Amino acid sequence: MAEKPKDTHEPSSVPAKPERRSVLLGTAMTGSLIAGYGTFAAYAARFLYGAGAKVATAWMYVTEVALMKPGDSMRFVTPGRAKVAIARQGSSGTVDDFVALSSTCPHLGCQVHWEPQHDRFFCPCHNGTFDRSGRATSGPPFEAKQSLPRYPLRIENGLLFIEVPTETLSSVDADADDEQDGRHAACEYVPLRRKA
Amino acid sequence: MSIGSWLSERVPVDGDQLRELTNEPVPNHLKHWWFALGGTPAYLFIVQIATGILLAFYYESSPRVAWESVRHITDEVAFGWYLRSVHKWGATLMIATVVLHQMRVFFTAAYRKPRELNWMVGMCLLVTTLLTGFTGYSLVYEQLSFWGATVGANITDSVPVAGPILKRMLLGGDLYNERTLSRFFVLHAAVLPMTIVGLVAIHITFIRLQGVTEMRFEDEPRDEPKHFRFFPDHFYTELIMGLLVMVVLSALATVLPAAMGPRADPLVTPEVIKPEWFFYVAFRWLKLFSGTAAVLSMGFVVMLMFGWPFVDAWIQRRRPASELHVWIGSLAVLAIITLTVWEAVVAH
Repeated sequence: MAEKPKDTHEPSSVPAKPERRSVLLGTAMTGSLIAGYGTFAAYAARFLYGAGAKVATAWMYVTEVALMKPGDSMRFVTPGRAKVAIARQGSSGTVDDFVALSSTCPHLGCQVHWEPQHDRFFCPCHNGTFDRSGRATSGPPFEAKQSLPRYPLRIENGLLFIEVPTETLSSVDADADDEQDGRHAACEYVPLRRKA
Repeated sequence: MSIGSWLSERVPVDGDQLRELTNEPVPNHLKHWWFALGGTPAYLFIVQIATGILLAFYYESSPRVAWESVRHITDEVAFGWYLRSVHKWGATLMIATVVLHQMRVFFTAAYRKPRELNWMVGMCLLVTTLLTGFTGYSLVYEQLSFWGATVGANITDSVPVAGPILKRMLLGGDLYNERTLSRFFVLHAAVLPMTIVGLVAIHITFIRLQGVTEMRFEDEPRDEPKHFRFFPDHFYTELIMGLLVMVVLSALATVLPAAMGPRADPLVTPEVIKPEWFFYVAFRWLKLFSGTAAVLSMGFVVMLMFGWPFVDAWIQRRRPASELHVWIGSLAVLAIITLTVWEAVVAH
């Protein structure tokens, strides 16, 4: 009868403190697993988080300061075709006279529109309203004390400039549509009305 | 060598073991039709996978062409309108049956010890199903679905601490951008369905380990056996339910086919904006309170639902005869119906 092969996994005759060894092995294995898969998870999370590039902006010419009287308002169309309401509210001749309101509701990102009959901006998503200076007057933005965001403005040599994003999702679409590039609409402005 | 013996050598499972696996006796109350509500969403999920895979052959997840590809599916591809409509109605019915199944479990207190963990798995399934519905609707890239997605992404921003990171990972940027739609597509077509498959596997494993909750109805004869066979008896019930569901789906798809709204315009929010019906509750809630308050309160309600078996056990220890869960459940259902109907009937 053939001799039974020796089990190579039999414990040796002089066990070298197996508890300590198993603890060390267990710790090493757990540590390696956490380090290995943890690194992978961190890379995956960073990958999904994206490049972190900020939205590109540019300073653009709006109009001559002298052409806008106190109470005037106008609509500025950004290169990304976003509409910006710009109004002159003072007569000091400084940039503080002007406000350039974003049409993006600070509540959950919908687009507000001007309701002349109610003299207010209205957000159709959750019924937020804002006065002509962009201050919330009712709805969730009012409760959270959120106003319409403002675009930075500056005056140089009597000219009004605004800092706006150069692209929006809409301008990306326009590029694809046909040869009509949304960027050509840059700086196009439409005077709205002068306050009586 | 016969095919049978060839196969049995390679698949060493005999008939007895197969019967053991499938023939678990189930309690008599499962003969009532409304106890097939757990199997119905599972069946609908299979319908969604089949129709979803077919739709994915034509769908393109770029904002430039997404709406056009859906229009192509709907108007030009053979039976495209049917498959898209079945997919849409399948989603509606799946969410409805998941909610009804959860209500049945809640009102019959089937979540009590030892089934607390399975209730929590079911809650995960409810949330995952709703997220799948949300991401799926956004893929159409029509006006309402675009603005719904924008609002949804901004809601995550209101979540304390992790909100901004979550929003960024969802959108692939600070705002809805060119890369966002493909993220929604991957979530809708891969990540969330895989999650549902995993959760359903855990859900069914728990049911097999713990057995179905025993219930007796007053009209049941006392001398009848308390159990009957899952296979084929209850399996047939589920098959018939599946056939009925398919008939209902086809009828809905034919009579009320999935329509298309105007293409998304990221610069103009429509005058009247509504999400899908299953988010009416949340949408109305968001109109009633400021952003963070609404999100935190909704989060509290969801957490309470997750931990309800333990809250209920705490109540039961103090007042064993209490039927508070029925009252709380009834009030919750009433509140959900009220908010849903309110949102449905008014423009703003």
